[in-house]
Amino acid sequence: MMVDLAGADVRAFETLYRDNRSWLEQWLSRRLGSAWDAADLSQDTFVRVLASPQSVADLQEPRAYLKTVGKRLLVNFYKRRSLEQAYLDALATLPADVAPSPEQRWQVLETLHALDQLLDGLPTAVRRAFLLSQLEGLGYREIAERLQVSERSVKRYMAQAYEHCLLADLC
Amino acid sequence: MLSPEPSDEARRVARSAARWWVCIESGAVSEQDLARLQRWREASDAHESAWRRVSALKGRFQILPPALAMASLDRPAPGRRDMLKGLLGVAVVAPAGWWLARELPLDAWRADEATGTGERRRLTLADGSVLHINTSTAVDIDAEKRQLTLRRGEFMLRLADATPFHIRTALTDVRLDQGEINVREGSGVCRLSVLAGQAEVRPTGFAPLTLRTGQQIQLSNAGPGPITGFDPRQPGWREGVIVALNQPLGEFLRELDRYRPGILRWQPELEALRVTGSFRLDEPDQVLNLLAVSLPLRVQWRTRYWATLVPQEKSV
Repeated sequence: MMVDLAGADVRAFETLYRDNRSWLEQWLSRRLGSAWDAADLSQDTFVRVLASPQSVADLQEPRAYLKTVGKRLLVNFYKRRSLEQAYLDALATLPADVAPSPEQRWQVLETLHALDQLLDGLPTAVRRAFLLSQLEGLGYREIAERLQVSERSVKRYMAQAYEHCLLADLC
Repeated sequence: MLSPEPSDEARRVARSAARWWVCIESGAVSEQDLARLQRWREASDAHESAWRRVSALKGRFQILPPALAMASLDRPAPGRRDMLKGLLGVAVVAPAGWWLARELPLDAWRADEATGTGERRRLTLADGSVLHINTSTAVDIDAEKRQLTLRRGEFMLRLADATPFHIRTALTDVRLDQGEINVREGSGVCRLSVLAGQAEVRPTGFAPLTLRTGQQIQLSNAGPGPITGFDPRQPGWREGVIVALNQPLGEFLRELDRYRPGILRWQPELEALRVTGSFRLDEPDQVLNLLAVSLPLRVQWRTRYWATLVPQEKSV
């Protein structure tokens, strides 16, 4: 990541980091229950702050700002963990012949994580309709039957999902 | 941390692209629709780019293992974990729903099974072993001798336990000691792929060899080729899908042709186009239409069964 900082910002960031790193780690650790995860997320938080257009020198309440950034990372962290858990549960349940090889597992998980983030924010029914279409190859009529909604609703769901993904991809 | 808001124009393009994809996929698409879609795509680079980004997105889903991805991405909200098992049941069982599944009765020790073009069948043998028979296949089963003879076509056999099973084809004898094997024979070539376990291969007139999990070999009258690894997506036919990852179109169409009754032709300049995606085998005509949407080609239908793929003209 390219970060271009003026001298004043460098000093302000150093101060922010020195004064708040251990406080932020403790704050995260209480929520995560793991000092290791907290240390990782704390580093990630500072990296985000560095990369943000917000000037560190202008921060009025640095701890409130760090909490806001940290919370977003926490939410991502939980989502990732629940994805990983569902993935591992599914791997354990699947017959060996359907499961990916050990080398592919990590790669599959990374792809799933990226797609999970992409779909984030879609209503459950829309998300499910979209997944049935993309993963199980169901036609719109079959999706309508599976979800017990009209075919017209499925069309609306699918359009919403495509539009969401196109716009999310922009950012 | 800031997410730039997409412009109104970006929103409009995204909405149009989304609607066009839904139009194509909903199945009620006319010649005029396709022509209008083509004009829309050509009207601006932004249109074409949005169109292709959706195509790329679909490709990312299609190379995932469906049951696993479904269970992970459609996971229940935290605290509702017991839903997962139900969901998994649906995800794993549903794609196999079209199989004409049946048990061989215990007294039916011998059976000659044959499938037509596009037909697939799943049989559970008396000992619990599972036999999947692919399109245009004939196979003789002798459960007492634990022997399968492949006359033509393709099957996949998964053993219930470690009691060996004998497989005979025109070119070779195989003893599957345990696990699972895919056997395909046609045009004078026999391909063996061991998905799990181990198989002893005795090619007629050549030295025996051993194949282990993840290994594949092709045999012909000239003898066995080298042992290679193989694409684990290859037996997708069992789940009713054909998976291509950057595959030359010609190769893909030859494969698709096995599942489709009728005549399929394509012009030679299309041979080298690349295909990526996972397609349902039970609707091969729909696959052709999808190809026409994602690749620069058109499908000409002489009759319902006779399809010819030609390059798309530059202007509409």
